[in-house]
Amino acid sequence: MKNSVVKIDNLVKRYGDLTALDHLSLDIAEGEVFGLLGPNGSGKTTTINCLLSLLTYDKGDIELFGKKMSPTAYNIKKEIGVIMQNVAVFDELTVYENIDYFCGLYINDKAQRKQYVDEAVKFVGLEEFLKSRPKKLSGGLLRRLNIACGIAHKPKLIILDEPTVAVDPQSRNKILEGIEQLNREGATVIYTSHYMEEVEQICTRIAIMDKGKKIAEGTKDELKRMIRNTETMNIEIIDLPDEVRSKISVLPHVYNTEYDGSKLTVYCSGGKHNLTRVLGVLQEHELGFGRVYSELPTLNDVFLEITGKALRDKED
Amino acid sequence: MFFHNLKYELLINLRAPALIAWLMIFPIFLGTVFKIGFGSIYETVDSFGSIPTAVVETKENEIFRSVVESVSEGDNKLLDVTFTDEENALRMLKDGDVKGIIYSGDKVTLTVVGKGIQETIIKSFIEQYNVYADIITDAVRNDPARAQDVIAALSADMTACREVPLTQGDPDHYAQYFYNLIAMVAIFGSVTGLHITETNQANMSALGARRNCSPTPKSASLTAALAGSFIAQAVCMTICVTFIQFALKIDFGERLPLVYAAAIIGGCLGVTMGFFIGSIGRLSSEVKNGIAMTVSMLCCFLSGLMVGNIKGLLAEKIPWFNNVNPVAIISDCFYCLNIYSDFDRFSFKMISMAVYIVVFTSLGIILSRGKKYASI
Repeated sequence: MKNSVVKIDNLVKRYGDLTALDHLSLDIAEGEVFGLLGPNGSGKTTTINCLLSLLTYDKGDIELFGKKMSPTAYNIKKEIGVIMQNVAVFDELTVYENIDYFCGLYINDKAQRKQYVDEAVKFVGLEEFLKSRPKKLSGGLLRRLNIACGIAHKPKLIILDEPTVAVDPQSRNKILEGIEQLNREGATVIYTSHYMEEVEQICTRIAIMDKGKKIAEGTKDELKRMIRNTETMNIEIIDLPDEVRSKISVLPHVYNTEYDGSKLTVYCSGGKHNLTRVLGVLQEHELGFGRVYSELPTLNDVFLEITGKALRDKED
Repeated sequence: MFFHNLKYELLINLRAPALIAWLMIFPIFLGTVFKIGFGSIYETVDSFGSIPTAVVETKENEIFRSVVESVSEGDNKLLDVTFTDEENALRMLKDGDVKGIIYSGDKVTLTVVGKGIQETIIKSFIEQYNVYADIITDAVRNDPARAQDVIAALSADMTACREVPLTQGDPDHYAQYFYNLIAMVAIFGSVTGLHITETNQANMSALGARRNCSPTPKSASLTAALAGSFIAQAVCMTICVTFIQFALKIDFGERLPLVYAAAIIGGCLGVTMGFFIGSIGRLSSEVKNGIAMTVSMLCCFLSGLMVGNIKGLLAEKIPWFNNVNPVAIISDCFYCLNIYSDFDRFSFKMISMAVYIVVFTSLGIILSRGKKYASI
């Protein structure tokens, strides 16, 4: 079994009457890419801030690398790379100077630092912008600079708090690929986001949070197995008779159907060949249909089924 | 680690737009405006020391010649006299080379063109001579041996209307505005002081939070930030004093190194004041900036930057106030250096600034220590 890098036990954080973190426990092993997934205000950033000793908390324990975390635990902090939700760079410094400055907070040796900074620049693809000031960079490049400042010193634990907010798809892909590479190189990663696709793409294990509580935890497959839905079929069909819909509703493994006049949606739980059976009923009644497609459940379905609400708004 | 932080603190400070605007461009602009505004007054005052005058001797008058020669000698001479004929004297007057023509004969008369201070001084001199002329003549007749002593004594009386250097310096009323200008630049160092807390406290900015995640102890980070700000402020103060002294040619007297020292210490006081304000409570950085600017401007106003006589008024009504107003303390340093020959008052002002620096820094560190980022 791999060593525990982060251990949060029974963490409670209150702001007056509001409980921001409600008895949260997490155990993150070395080499994991651990995703903290939840809507805005679910407590992801508060968890990270408590983890980094930026925030005091009311109850609980936090251990990093087997040692209790505190504001003066400099030996622990040395091993952590932090990429904040808000870009934290100096407008007065160039790209290179920013990375060198933050790397210098961790690495004293000049030669080693130069090598690390050069590698970080290359890693995020900012070679052409070394002498640019942050204000001249696009949102995506700025995020990449933010990441370079956080990882240049080659930390063992990298914490990324929503690093892809307001980033163009190209930069987003670059960032996600970079995180996977850092993990391959040995870093343990904690990744918070409300973008479920990102979390699904890169995280080996995921905790879903809502209202300060961890509502589910596991690999993405484990999480999807927690819910009833395993397959959602969509069939474009006009004038579907009620008796046919009723027949479909009682097919094995079908637990719900919806029809809006042009599209039939069939929800299944487990089983095999569900689509074949549904299409068989339609052919039996000589009904023509258009496009047919089947969807596997997403983390949003998991969140929806557990909390009764969508993980994020559609416009997100 | 310290020098790494210090290097970047310096770069950040010296490239900060707010610092360049408030501590470099603004004082140069305001100083230039002051100089233009007070320019004509300065020209008059400058030429007050030695007034170019032509003397036309219509008839020999040895007594007057002796008197004129005695007031035209030495470092503090009243008149810069040219003995010439009438034609040349009139041409010189017309060309502005002299301010007046004195006709010396049985009677001493004066011709001037303008009605300025210098013309008035020559006129007063002639009037005084005419009053004392009989006394001098009696002395020459009755005791020729003492005649020169009498002339010398009376010449001294005639020049008594000039500024008397009771102190070592030049009590230039308008220089006070420039002293206040330097003090204002010093106190505007609070902008850089505020920047220290903004970028070091986790509850004030993402940068603050980011820095607090690093293994650099807060004390080391703050020390480097303060040192960097002090140096940046010292650069600004040096530029300001140099510009006023050498470009605007406002005379700070003979103790220029001490003027620089007072300006730099004053700048450090401004930085620590901003650091202290930035460390108070959980107000946003915008609010804290507003507080710092308001306090700075109020101190400048009460020190006489906008209204010249307010400082004197306060000294009369609330005698202790100028001893606690940081801007007044800083500007008084320059005043003391220029006015008083001893260092007692200057030393007191410097010690006052040092006390402020220590108190502000200590309170700032105490208030900053252990601050926790608190927002969700």
